[in-house]
Amino acid sequence: MAARALTKGLWGLRQSRAITVGYPAAGHFYSTEAAVKSPTLQCMMFQVINDCLTIRSERIMTLPLEKPDFFRVSELFSVKSLFEARVHLGHKKGCRHRLMEPYLYGCRLEQDIIDLDQTVEHLQLALNFTAHVAYRGGVILFVSRQRQFSQLVENTAKGCGEYAHTRYWQGGLLTNAPIQYGPGVRLPDLIVFLSTLNNVFQQHVGIRDAAKMNIPTIGVVDSNCNPSLLTYPVPGNDDTPIAMELYCHLFKMIINRAKDKRKHMELLPSAAPPHASELLKTSN
Amino acid sequence: MAGSRLERFGTVYSRVRDLMRSGVIKPSQKPIWFDVYEAFPPKKEPLYVKPHTRTATKKQEPVPEIFYREDEIRAKFFEHYGSGYRSFLLHKPDFVSTSQRFVDKYMELKSRGELEEAALFEETGKALLAEGITLKKRGAPSVSAESRESRLTDMSAEEQTVGAGSEETTDTADTTNTHTT
Repeated sequence: MAARALTKGLWGLRQSRAITVGYPAAGHFYSTEAAVKSPTLQCMMFQVINDCLTIRSERIMTLPLEKPDFFRVSELFSVKSLFEARVHLGHKKGCRHRLMEPYLYGCRLEQDIIDLDQTVEHLQLALNFTAHVAYRGGVILFVSRQRQFSQLVENTAKGCGEYAHTRYWQGGLLTNAPIQYGPGVRLPDLIVFLSTLNNVFQQHVGIRDAAKMNIPTIGVVDSNCNPSLLTYPVPGNDDTPIAMELYCHLFKMIINRAKDKRKHMELLPSAAPPHASELLKTSN
Repeated sequence: MAGSRLERFGTVYSRVRDLMRSGVIKPSQKPIWFDVYEAFPPKKEPLYVKPHTRTATKKQEPVPEIFYREDEIRAKFFEHYGSGYRSFLLHKPDFVSTSQRFVDKYMELKSRGELEEAALFEETGKALLAEGITLKKRGAPSVSAESRESRLTDMSAEEQTVGAGSEETTDTADTTNTHTT
């Protein structure tokens, strides 16, 4: 690494000069002109290829962040599809959580109706974040303590090659992981809560634990849930089967899309070309 | 890897950023999601909100109740006719219930004609009867007796049987719930 940096710097010093006096190339000095030409040319080419590769690998990581919707999340759903999946139906007025009031559209005959315009924005942000984390090879954990959807959530995780936890959450799962699971265990980089409540209608312990371990969280919050600690809350119904199927389908699709995109970027050189300005930067 | 387990102070992002700034987390150990969060931050920072138990402070903007102009018509319909004999098939996205048809016909007649409310109500009932939807009235027997007489004066066999049918079902309709808003 140090040698490469050294040669890069020195290469930058003598770029377009004629080959007269010895160039320091890979630590060797050449005095004669003829001897200077071919080995330095090879080293030059080697340098250029190396630079291109490093720039390309950086480019693979930075290119998706420059575009606002690299994974085309907005094409996956609309307000109409959310309405048909009955995502807007909340619980009754008495069950309402104080912090969910900004996300509610209104109250129809004592049943809270969630504002789908806000849900669309939040869901787009959440799916976009998931896609980027999956693109960078992050570990995603799906959590839901609803017994009727545990099979669905586990199948979703299997379908996109990620992980799910739909059973009893042991106290030290995240906070005491090295002791419970062995040293050097890798914690998830993102936790997706498809229902933020546990079986006794209290907030799931995993939300607080993830915040403790500095892991970002995405969660579907119904009108009786607390959205404060979640990084990307998504206000929506979490009790209807059709709504849960929609969420699982969206997450599975976006994660698979992100992983395919990553493979595509790595295999095809044309997909992530090094930017002209970056090449000029290193050569100067 | 070093971390900060204080979930009540700041957000996940602010804690990691400050740990990196102070050098506790090395740049090589930067979390995967850090750049993504910086590029696409959430709408509201995920700060911990203390649950205050005092409910003395009244909220300025409670969640608004949703009512429509057609609700008045619906209320009168359900009070007069009770819940319809047809159940609500909600799994069909384009389902139109009896009450909704009544409301649509009412609005149509209102925009078309110059009748006032009470007459409009009767007219809508008759229009729906003409279309083939029988509306079984619930309410005081005197109301149905009047309607029966008006039908008999029309001198048509079908309306006599309909009148007999509506008289039979007034007893069963009393057990239905009222839909009040």
